[in-house]
This record gives sequence, structure tokens and C-alpha cells, in this order.
Amino acid sequence: MPDIVDIAVGAGSFQTLVTAVQAAGLVETLKSPGPFTVFAPNDEAFAKLPPGTITTLVQNIPQLTRILTYHVVPGKLTQADLAQHESVISVEGSPIPIHTANGFEVKNATVVAADIEADNGIIHVLEKVILMG
Amino acid sequence: MTTTLNPTLNTQLPPSTHEFAEIIHRLEAGGSMLPDTPENLMQIIGIYKAYAVPMDFYWRDLLYIAERVFLNPLPAFKYFLPKEYLDLPNHYAGDDADLRIWRGEATAHPELMDFIKKGETNSRMPKLFHHLWHDRINMEFAEACMRAMLWHRRMVAPVNRFDAYLDTPEYSANADRAIRAYFQGNPVMLGLYKLFPEMFIEQVRQLSYYSNLGLFWEVMAPVFFEMSDLYDEGKFTTVPEAMDFLVNGIFAIAGRPIYHHAHIRGECYEIIPKSKGFMWLYEAALPYVEAVFYRTSPFRGTKSYNAQAKQIPLEQENFHYGILYADVFPVGTAGIPPTLLMQDMLHFLPPYLVEYYAKHCRGQDDTLIQLGISFQRSMYNVTSAVIQALRTALLYPLDDSNPDHLLTNRQFFESQLDRFKRPEARLRNIQHDDYR
Repeated sequence: MPDIVDIAVGAGSFQTLVTAVQAAGLVETLKSPGPFTVFAPNDEAFAKLPPGTITTLVQNIPQLTRILTYHVVPGKLTQADLAQHESVISVEGSPIPIHTANGFEVKNATVVAADIEADNGIIHVLEKVILMG
Repeated sequence: MTTTLNPTLNTQLPPSTHEFAEIIHRLEAGGSMLPDTPENLMQIIGIYKAYAVPMDFYWRDLLYIAERVFLNPLPAFKYFLPKEYLDLPNHYAGDDADLRIWRGEATAHPELMDFIKKGETNSRMPKLFHHLWHDRINMEFAEACMRAMLWHRRMVAPVNRFDAYLDTPEYSANADRAIRAYFQGNPVMLGLYKLFPEMFIEQVRQLSYYSNLGLFWEVMAPVFFEMSDLYDEGKFTTVPEAMDFLVNGIFAIAGRPIYHHAHIRGECYEIIPKSKGFMWLYEAALPYVEAVFYRTSPFRGTKSYNAQAKQIPLEQENFHYGILYADVFPVGTAGIPPTLLMQDMLHFLPPYLVEYYAKHCRGQDDTLIQLGISFQRSMYNVTSAVIQALRTALLYPLDDSNPDHLLTNRQFFESQLDRFKRPEARLRNIQHDDYR
């Protein structure tokens, strides 16, 4: 089975995420056995950020890494697993609220595709970049 | 992001029953807490410009103190900014900017340079006399803001990692290296350090806040200069446009690193390295707004408080002495930090504001008070930008089709405005033109 990175590259709709992950040097981590749950914002999600946001983050890798690792949770958590939690703790360290009562939302982002299985974890696709706080 | 530009009135929810319902509906329509009138727009933009010039000095000097003056036990010349720091390129202005916000130059603003030379007295006397006569930029205001951030530590926890880092052994070890290097060959100071290590570390923590605020304002100065230029070019015509520019600026710069480096004898000591991942939004902007706009502290000499009679809140989070609550009139006393800022801004008012103040109240005699109130209006607009930016980042678009999301937005706006229910808050006053 392909790993998380292979799936993101293959899908074609995660070009910004893949570029950011490469810039942050997280490719190797996301290819490791993990397992990880990745809340993956698609290209449309990144396009919603105002101009300049990505430029500043790409210039500052530790800060970019922090935002990216907020989208990753240790362990392989399916939608059903996540429904058992009010929030989960990200690799960044901050909590991510989970709402499953009415649809499937991760913090303030709607999950547009859930439970994409990878060899080393699982991907849930978001329509918005989520931010700590 | 562009949703804040779209003033679609939300009709999916029943009207708010909050005391400030009208303002909540305005926020829900993409507006600001400050009413959208040409007079308000003129006042806030004029004040942003008058604020940006001294701020261009503040950020440079804050970094100079954090990086070079460092632990000088007699820092008598810490406000004497060397050329190196006046020429320090702002990362957000000039041709080589990391991200160009202001189309002007990266070095110190020409009006600032002119003022440093001649001062208000318009005389070329030695710098020391300008300094002693207080004919200079009042860095005491900038330091009061820095101290407010230090006093109100542990704000915005746990998202703010900068503050927690100051209490880690890693930070103490980094500070220790810098302290030893700085006092190398000085047995008296090294002896004192051995006796009172925590006192020295605490001083370095304060210097880390100097750096934090310096890096925060390095961004805000070009933002305000650009807003002033856009207004002069006729490109801002409404208060929400000015607020949206700030919202976009907040997002664009959110990831700017916040760090503290000390330069000692040609070597750079990374007391807080950039690699910690601390960010402008979480580690500087949000704590700044909380500490300076809302909380600060009761300024000595403005008013008498009886702490035993509980006139001062027991919990620091309930402090409410910031600009959003200030009664500008009694604050207008010599030596009080907000007054020092007003005095700094007075030197750089655009002509249209000078003319405007001359026409109202007691004209030139109370320009300081009038501009203080314009400043209050302008900071309500900045706070609105912060509220809209948080709503955008953490909640939902204003035109979201899901009523549950709109309700969550409303609850957020209402909880933010709850902070202005207390009688001291000036939110009610700034709704009226005759508050000046």
C-alpha cells in the first residue's frame, strides 16, 4: 500500500501541501512507519489564505513546521475513532477539536474526504487550513 | 479571507439581544467596532501615520537594547540609537524586504531622522541636551508596553509558547552563556551573578520581551505607513477597508519568527533561537493586544486607587487599564506613558489632522487629548481587525451557509464584546462623533 506522502503526491490536489512538507523537511517523517493521522488541507484550502501567508511561512521553516505538525496526530484514527473524542492532541502539541455530531469537522474545517488509508496511517482531507488557538 | 470585505448582512439568525447588538450586527456584516464614517476614517488613518513614525524608532531601539545594551548596569545611553540601528533594514519595507508591505524605504523614516536632528525645539544642540530636555522620542512609552507584556505573563497560554519557554532550563542555560560572555573580565558583576543568578536571568527575560515587542512593531510600522499612503492616494474610502488591510496584514505576517539574539563582542548568542518556531501571531501579536490594549496597569499619578478596597482586581486577567478603557483626559499628565506617546505622535500629525483638531474643543490647547481620543478610536479598529482575524482563523466565514456556524461566530463576537460591558470601556463613546 502507498504511504501518506505517495498518496498526497499521487492525488494531484495537494500540490501546496506537498511543497510545504518538502520545504519543511518532513517527507522522511511522513514516510516512516508512524502511524500518523494527517488532516490534509487541499490546494483550495491553501488558496483561501491571504497572499503573503505562505510566503512568510516558507521563508521560516521552523514556523512552517509548527503549522504543518498541527495537522498531524500520532496513531491511525479513522472517522469512527475520532468520533469517540472531543479533541485530539496534535504533534505540534495543541489540541484539535473534533465535531462529528453534524457531519465531520476538524476544528473549523469540514472534512471533504475521510478515511483514506495509507500504509503508515490515514488521511482526512480538509477544505481549510487549521490554525492553533 | 476576502469574506470580511463582503458586507452581506446575515439574515439567518434572529437579532442579537446583546447590549451591543448593533455593533455585533456590524461585525457580522464585516464591519468594525468603530462606525464607518469619513471622519472616523480620517482620524484613524492620520493617527496610524503619526504613530508609525515614533514606532519606527521604538522597534529599532527595543531591538538595540535587547541585542546590544543587554545587561549594561548603567544604561544611560540606551535611547541613543546608533546609526547601525537607524539604518537597520525593516524586513517589511524597501526593495529587499522579505515581504514588502510598505512601498517606502527600509531604513528609518525621513521625518524621524529630521526630528532626531532638531527635535521639537528645532535647535541643533548636542544630543544629550535634547535628551535631558525630553525633546526626543519617548522610549519610556515603548518600555511601559514591554513591561505590561512581562507583568501579564502567561497570557494566551497554552498557544503562546514563548512565555513558557522563558521558564525552561534550556532558556536559563542560553541566558547563562550570554550573561557570562557579557560580563567576561568583570569579576564584580560575575560575583553578583553568582550570588543572585535568578535576578540576572529575570533581567534577561525582560530583555527577551524587549526583543519580542521590537519584532512585533517592526511589522506594524510599515503596515501603518502603507495605510496612510493608500489613504492619501484615495484607495481607502471606508473604515472596514482599513480594518481588512490590517486583517490581511495579520495573516501575511503571522509566521514571522519571534526570537531573542544578543550580540556580544562580535558573537551572536541565541537566547531564544528562531528554530524554536515562535511566531508573530501567537507569541507577539495576541499577547501584545491582551497586555497593552486591554490590561496594562493602573498608571501611577493618574488617579488614586485603594487596593484594600478591591478597587484593583485581584486577578490580573481582570485588569482593564488599557487604551480601550482609558479616560484620556486625566491620563494627560506629564511623565505618564500614554501621554508620552501622545506627545510623540503630536510631532508627526498629518496636516489634515492638525487642521481638524484646531477646529474642535480648545484647538491647539488640547490637541493632545483630541489626538489621544483619535488614537483610542484607531485602536478599537485594530482590535476589531484582531477579532475578525481570529474569527477567520478559528471559526467560520461571515457568509457561511450553515446556521450553526453563524451562531458560533455570533457567540464569539458576543463574548469579545462582553469585555466592553464594564463602565470604563470607551466602546459606547466611540460610537459618537462628539466624543473628542
